[in-house]
Amino acid sequence: MASACPSYALLRPSKAPGHHNLQEMTISLAVPDILVARAKSGDEEALEALYRAFETPVYNLARRILRNPEDAEDVLQETFLEVVRSIGSYRGEGHLWGWVRRIASSKALMRIRRQQVRAEEAFDEEAVVGTAPMSIPARVDLERAFEQLGETSRAVVWLHDVEGYTHEEIAEMMGKTVSFSKSQLARAHARLRRVLEGEGQT
Amino acid sequence: MTMHCTMDELLALRANEGSQWARQHLDTCAECRTELDALYQRIAQLKALPALAPARDRWPTIRARVVAARLSRRRRWAASGLAAAAVLAGMVVFRGISGQRAYADELAQAKRQSASLEAELQGYDPDAHVQSGRTAAMAAALEDRIAAVDAQLSQLNTGPSPVGPQVVQLWQDRVDLMQQLVDVHVTQASYVGL
Repeated sequence: MASACPSYALLRPSKAPGHHNLQEMTISLAVPDILVARAKSGDEEALEALYRAFETPVYNLARRILRNPEDAEDVLQETFLEVVRSIGSYRGEGHLWGWVRRIASSKALMRIRRQQVRAEEAFDEEAVVGTAPMSIPARVDLERAFEQLGETSRAVVWLHDVEGYTHEEIAEMMGKTVSFSKSQLARAHARLRRVLEGEGQT
Repeated sequence: MTMHCTMDELLALRANEGSQWARQHLDTCAECRTELDALYQRIAQLKALPALAPARDRWPTIRARVVAARLSRRRRWAASGLAAAAVLAGMVVFRGISGQRAYADELAQAKRQSASLEAELQGYDPDAHVQSGRTAAMAAALEDRIAAVDAQLSQLNTGPSPVGPQVVQLWQDRVDLMQQLVDVHVTQASYVGL
């Protein structure tokens, strides 16, 4: 059972970016059962409280995967429309954040694949990486190096290494094989290593 | 020439799934131990990255769409002559949206969205792509539901007043189903809110 929370205001994460990391957020994402029950009944205040609680982690997940901030905001919106539509089917099995995160991950991955299909691109990361800026400083920090990856690689790295999804879960969400997920992760880490060592310098 | 662990092997070692050769090699190779440490550090640093927050508040948009969906449902109930609809309609006042004009606006918007999605589907040739059985089944189920909606629309269009809450709701249902169909066809994604 989730810990009691005296006020919805306590569920609201800071709006200022950079003040929380994911580990801190995971602790703060416990949602009172009564709030979930009210949201299931369609209580607008409760739905907004859920939105405020998960707004930043959902956006952060989407933004880490997708290059475009607008796309990440669209994923945030689509995710919560789905949450509002489907919360009646949430049975309280597992943490609510896990359920919301799964929806957000699926929405972000759908967007990647839709963009790739529309652009008639193969699921080839090298082609996507080739669209990154040409000039990469000799030494870049990890966040910038991560941004040099293609969206599929970013998705696999973020979902596996940060969010803790297994390769089996990632493969299912992506409609790909487990070996695809594993190879994407290995290629992404190899590239991160190269970029961090300055090999990306032109 | 000295063999070292590949990134695949380092990731497997991190997941406690490393091969016997990789585990033994790690005991004797300082270079690979350094690489594995660097991998752990990269992942720890990724987890410690600051959380990014959206620049804009999307809740007002979400709320507006939720309210609009509820409004449509309540209108449908009213049109069906359900007594409960009258009670619900009295409980919530939706200022600024009323009457026939609101129906016409919503209908026009739904038709535009539907046409856009139709065009998107036409631009995608499902026969040219390999689909899993599950994807094909989901697409077929959605197409059946769209056909059912179309049949209801066809019946309503033969009546004296085609623009009404039922028509609007049906068109909005059609848009929702079409969007799901696009997602299934184009993304072949495993998550669809069926």
